[in-house]
Parts: sequence; structure tokens; C-alpha cells
Amino acid sequence: MSARLVMKLQVAAAVATTPDVLHLTLVHPRRPELPAWTAGAHVDLRLPDGRVRQYSLCGDPADRGRYEIAIKREEAGRGGSAWAHGNLGVGSVADVSAPRNNFPLAPAARRHILVAGGIGVTPLLAMARTLAADRAEFALHVCARSAADAPLLADVRALCGDRLQVWFADDGRRLDPTRLCDFTVDTHVYACGPRRLTDAVQSALDAQGWPPEQVHVEHFAPLSDETFKPEPFEARIASTGALLHVPADRSLLDVLREHGVSQPASCELGVCGACECGYRDGTVIHRDAVLSVGKRRDRMTPCVSRAQGSVTLDL
Amino acid sequence: MTDASAPRMVEAFAHPAGSIAVGVPGGAVGWRGSLLNIHTASAASYEMEERAEARCVAGRGIEGDRYYLGSGTYSPKPDTREVTLIEQEALDAINRNDPPLQSGPLHIAPIDHRRNLTVRGVPLNHLVGRRFRVGEVILRGGRLNFPCKYLEELLGQPVYLPLYNRSGLNCGIERGGIIRVGDTIEMVD
Repeated sequence: MSARLVMKLQVAAAVATTPDVLHLTLVHPRRPELPAWTAGAHVDLRLPDGRVRQYSLCGDPADRGRYEIAIKREEAGRGGSAWAHGNLGVGSVADVSAPRNNFPLAPAARRHILVAGGIGVTPLLAMARTLAADRAEFALHVCARSAADAPLLADVRALCGDRLQVWFADDGRRLDPTRLCDFTVDTHVYACGPRRLTDAVQSALDAQGWPPEQVHVEHFAPLSDETFKPEPFEARIASTGALLHVPADRSLLDVLREHGVSQPASCELGVCGACECGYRDGTVIHRDAVLSVGKRRDRMTPCVSRAQGSVTLDL
Repeated sequence: MTDASAPRMVEAFAHPAGSIAVGVPGGAVGWRGSLLNIHTASAASYEMEERAEARCVAGRGIEGDRYYLGSGTYSPKPDTREVTLIEQEALDAINRNDPPLQSGPLHIAPIDHRRNLTVRGVPLNHLVGRRFRVGEVILRGGRLNFPCKYLEELLGQPVYLPLYNRSGLNCGIERGGIIRVGDTIEMVD
């Protein structure tokens, strides 16, 4: 997770969009514009006890004046949604981070198929808003138990018109992911919802031979790594071929220093980015708070991040 | 909060930089500047909040600020950061893309840069190892501030390179008290 500004936003509206989903509109008490975002982005909501929960933005990315999120009360959850339902009313303050997008629309796609299960409609509604404004070709499938249980359904209907297909179990209608759409090279599918739905979409499209880069599934990686247990690994220096052993109780940065590989460093906490370096082959365990998801493909922060087995560093 | 839970600070003139600078003569004298803005944030990554006045506590920091509370991004690492300052003149230069290190002008407002005090007419780069006053409070320059990629990420703006060598000053508080926007800033020695 890279660093994001946390703002104390005000709840401007709090509406129950279904019996168990709270739809919140958030504004900044002093600034007319919030940080910009694109469809598919989420924000972190910080709870008073320090825990963090992610919620997708479901409003219009073109509206810089407010953020909208929808929170489903999860009785079996870890308490974050119950706290939000009990405490976030009009006028209350929510500690919310600037948005980040790990689930963006594919810029090259010509047709977009959006598949929502329950509360998973939130990022897809923002996508539909962008696609509608861009006059792009899209369809939105909404799966829920009934119309009364489908969050934000009125907004979805008004926006999508006949581009919406609803699949309500109480009406005996269930989405068949094998019949979602015909394959074309410029069609992208986006699914968000319960695991069984996203897995069903993923496996149906895999079986039909869709390339993985045309199928997008939203899932949030756990933020906390309190249970992280460092393991030893090997690091190879690309320029010299030297193979360095990194014991479990030492950082890669320390081992590089000991072997005379000089690397700028500052915070040594994974937040400043000073020691960032490139890597090739190897599975890196990213534990910093600075590199973006895109950068993590070939960059790492050796002060806190490690590798599984081995990694080759571009040094 | 008890003293036992107070964050560990490095006294300004005990800092590796400040301890050398204190014995080396030089630096601008005879200047007189002013305090333009006071900002604090309650925790790491939280947006800074503007204050009209604030209480400085010797050896600790500005009441209500993350480095006073030990909740700052860099709090786990002992250093001199009771109070941080930056020159408005440096922000003005960055805002006009001077020197042209950026693709165009960048707007860094006082609420954005995450230093506590924005000052005008104060040669901060001359003040490592020096004592100066802000209103009734006496500060000691401990080390030059250094930009970090964390700020760049937070702001979503490429501020790291433009801030290099004009990122401000990290200070310790020798004599505490109340600081107010508009306070005079001048040398003590």
C-alpha cells in the first residue's frame, strides 16, 4: 500500500439504499475539491481503533466535490461495517484516505461487460458512469436476491437503462457466466462481488479461452501483516552475479551494505522510497508503503521488502 | 501521555549535523523574518490543519502534532524533528518552476508541504547549529530537512527533486511557549 493522504471528511448524506446497505456522501469541510480519482478506485476508511477498511467509490468520477461509498452491514464481519452503520450519520466525521485504483477500466477496450454481485456493484457503478459519459459500449449485470436487496438499484437503472440486466434469485433468474458475452479481442469483463460469483465468472471465461488480461476481478489484499514471519532468501546482483544470503532476522538493505553494494537509504521503514531498486525474476514480498502497484512489478524497497526463495536485483 | 511514552528526540545540537555546525562560524545575521503559517497533523498521513497559534514544549514538539504525539511517519526513528520549518521563498521558487526541474510550475501550498512552520525572510539553510527565536519560543537548528518520496506519494505531485536543498530545517525547542501567526523571527546569539 503506498502512502495516501488521510482527510477528515464530513458525512453530507446517509441513506439506507437497502435494509443493510448504507450509502454515504462525503465532503471536505474546507476544500471544495477532493483528490481526483478514476472509476474502479477505492478509499480507506480508518476506524477509531486504528483498523482500516476499503470501500469502492460509487459516485461520479467527474464530480470532484464529493465521494460516495456504500457500506454493507456484515454481521459476521470484523466489526468495521457495524461501526460505520452505528456511527456515520449526517454531520459526523469519517477519516478517509485519498483514492487508489487497483481495478481500472482497460483504456484499449471497445466493449465493457460489468458483472456485479450484491454490494460489488459499487466500483462497477462508477465505471458505468464513466462509460456512459464517454458513450462507450457496455453492459452491466446485477445479481442479487431480489430488487429490494440490490444496492443503489435506482441509480443503476436510471444510468444504464436497457444496458442493465438484473438477475434476482427470488425471481428464479440466475446469471449463467458461460453465456455472458461472445469473445472479441477488444471486449473486457470486470467482476466484483462474492467470491463464488467472481470465481464462476473467472473459470467460465478461462474455459472459453479468454486471455487473462481481458478479465478483471476486484479483490482487496489484506493490509495488515502483523502475522508476517520473515524467511531467509537469496539475492543475486545482476551486474556482478554475486549471490547474497539474507537471513530471516536481517533486511536485504543491511546485507547489501555489508557486501559493499551502496544504496541510498533514509527512513528504513518502507515509507520514504530512497532505497528503491529494480528487480527481475523472483517473487518479491512487498512490505513498503510507498511503491504503487504498477511499480511493484519491477521495483522493490530493500529496507523492508523480501523475496520468496530468491530474487535478482538490477544493481 | 507520560514522559516514558514520549517519542525519543535527538537534541538539536547533539545531532551529527548540528553538533558540527555549532562550532563553525558563519551565516547570515541581522535579518528579521516572520511566521506566516502554523500547521500540525494529529497522525501520520493525516491532512495538515492550520492553526492560529500553538504551544511549543521544550524537548518534545508542538502540542497536537504527530511528532509531539509519537504518531508520525518517522517517529520510530529517533531524530531532531520537534519543529520543522520551510521558507515561503522556496515554495515561491518551486511554484514558478525555478530552476526548471519540473515539467511546469507546481503549486505547493502551506497546507501541503507537511512542515510545521512556513516562514518568510528567514535564511533557514544558515541556521543549523544556531539559536533563533519565534515570538517567545527559542529554537535550535539541528539539521537541514531532506525531501522524501513519501511526500511525493501523498501529494501525487513530483516534489522530491524540486525540494532538494531547500526543504527547510528541523529544530529542537530550547525554550517553550506559545507561537502565533505573525510572530517575529530573529537570531538570539
